[in-house]
Amino acid sequence: MNDRIGRIYFGVLGIVTLIFGITDLIVTMGGNDFSWGILEISSDMFRGGWGGIIVISAGFFYLSSLKNFLEIHQLSRALMASILIWILAGTDIFVRITESIPGGEEGPWFNSLEGFLSTYAPPYPPVIFLLPFSLVILFFVGKRKKA
Amino acid sequence: MTLTADERWNLIEKISNKVVTFGKFKHTLKDALGELTVKPLTGIPIAITVLYGFWSVFSSFAGTLCTDGFFVKLFDGHFLPWVQSVFPGVGGWFYYIFVGDPAADNCFEAFGVLTSGLFVAMGVVLPAIFIFYLMMALLEDVGYMPRLAVLVDTIFHRIGLHGYAIVPSILALGCNVPAVTATRILETKKQRFIMMTLLAIFIPCGAQLGIMQEVIPESIGIVLLYLIFGYFIFGFILNKLVPGKSPEILIDVPPYQKPMWNNIARKLRMRLGGFLKTAVPFVLLGCVIVNILYLAGTIDWLAKTLTPLLTGWFGVPGETVGPLIAAFLRKDLAVAQLSAIEMSKYQMITSVVLVSIYFPCIATFVMLLKEGWKNLIGSFAVLVTVIFLYGGSINLIWSLLGVQ
Repeated sequence: MNDRIGRIYFGVLGIVTLIFGITDLIVTMGGNDFSWGILEISSDMFRGGWGGIIVISAGFFYLSSLKNFLEIHQLSRALMASILIWILAGTDIFVRITESIPGGEEGPWFNSLEGFLSTYAPPYPPVIFLLPFSLVILFFVGKRKKA
Repeated sequence: MTLTADERWNLIEKISNKVVTFGKFKHTLKDALGELTVKPLTGIPIAITVLYGFWSVFSSFAGTLCTDGFFVKLFDGHFLPWVQSVFPGVGGWFYYIFVGDPAADNCFEAFGVLTSGLFVAMGVVLPAIFIFYLMMALLEDVGYMPRLAVLVDTIFHRIGLHGYAIVPSILALGCNVPAVTATRILETKKQRFIMMTLLAIFIPCGAQLGIMQEVIPESIGIVLLYLIFGYFIFGFILNKLVPGKSPEILIDVPPYQKPMWNNIARKLRMRLGGFLKTAVPFVLLGCVIVNILYLAGTIDWLAKTLTPLLTGWFGVPGETVGPLIAAFLRKDLAVAQLSAIEMSKYQMITSVVLVSIYFPCIATFVMLLKEGWKNLIGSFAVLVTVIFLYGGSINLIWSLLGVQ
């Protein structure tokens, strides 16, 4: 049962991840940032280009893990895909943290509470939306450990 | 009693049957993850991600948070005006050496020992070196570095090295001095010579990366791309030209493990201590020497003499000669000095590449000398060739593209 649920869940997540990655690359090649509601895709070479390649890789890792999902080597692929997303999302969050602390060129040493909180307001890059969904892999890893 | 070879093997088998228990090896999740990181198809995307994370944390911590967030404000807004107002003898040579230009409103342009010297060493380079070594120690402790060595082994064989060459190469991104020492893990003289030459010429140190991130953030990717191409092109040529062997390696790959924070703290303390002792004095000394050369008119004379070469062959302004002299002492200082010279974006990229591939800084020079004067002379010959061929080719590329 777990195997089937895992396959369906990570199959869908893999496809969504792949689409996000391809969109990252298309936006980068287009040269203009793309915004839609609380989603924002950057067009800079580092975040959009390099980051896009990583998101695509994560998508492929998820999709290649589907056959016999709970087998250790297959599960490790899905876990690795999640790790790639954690690294990418982690660095995005870290960038926001580093931007939120100082008070700016002309301002005081430290940011005001309002300024601090506003740094974390949307829009967010796609990988931040993928982050909570990628954490589900921990459930399967935990299940396997118990078994 | 003498046993034949067959009898000995039979005896060994009997003993091992009695004392060794054979079980079935069961893969753990850690083993499976470990395998993914060394297989090229899966290992390369993982390596690309690790490098992304490394660079992203490096630039946002050192650049956004420390330097731009606090140190620029501290040095330009408070320290510089204070030093300019309290230091005696405005306009005198002593003032010029220690404080620099009295009209400067930022530490990059002042170029005194107490202004630019301290700002570059403490405000820009120290945070960069700190975060670089912290992440490096983390990757070492987790067990990723030996896997990276296995992954890149095939590529490094093309330039006469093997996978473990990744250790001095990455260490050199922090500082070339420990990297030269780390070349001792390579077995043959040929390998050590190629590695030392390549890292002295093509790998910018963490200090230089920190300054580049500050001065030319939008062009840093192009500069690094040039250096990576040069690293492999000249590595390939050196492998063909230098006589000697390039043997295979056997690496013991440890399992992935949780990092030990004591270990990381110890490594960080040791490497930062080394940086503070070897690099900071050279930055300050660099400021003194370059300022004296300016005051004596030597740099103006050199700039005039070398202008035909610099502008004609390399396509950069004659004033670049000052930073090139400073580069012998500290390359980070030289890049900082370049930022004060008026030039186009493309000239700036060429100048930064020139400073990078130009003679290694004096601390690295001393380390190369320690490894043998023959190596040093060989590296120097390669270096002169590289500067003229590679430096000139960049200008040629810009000309062909119609940009200057």
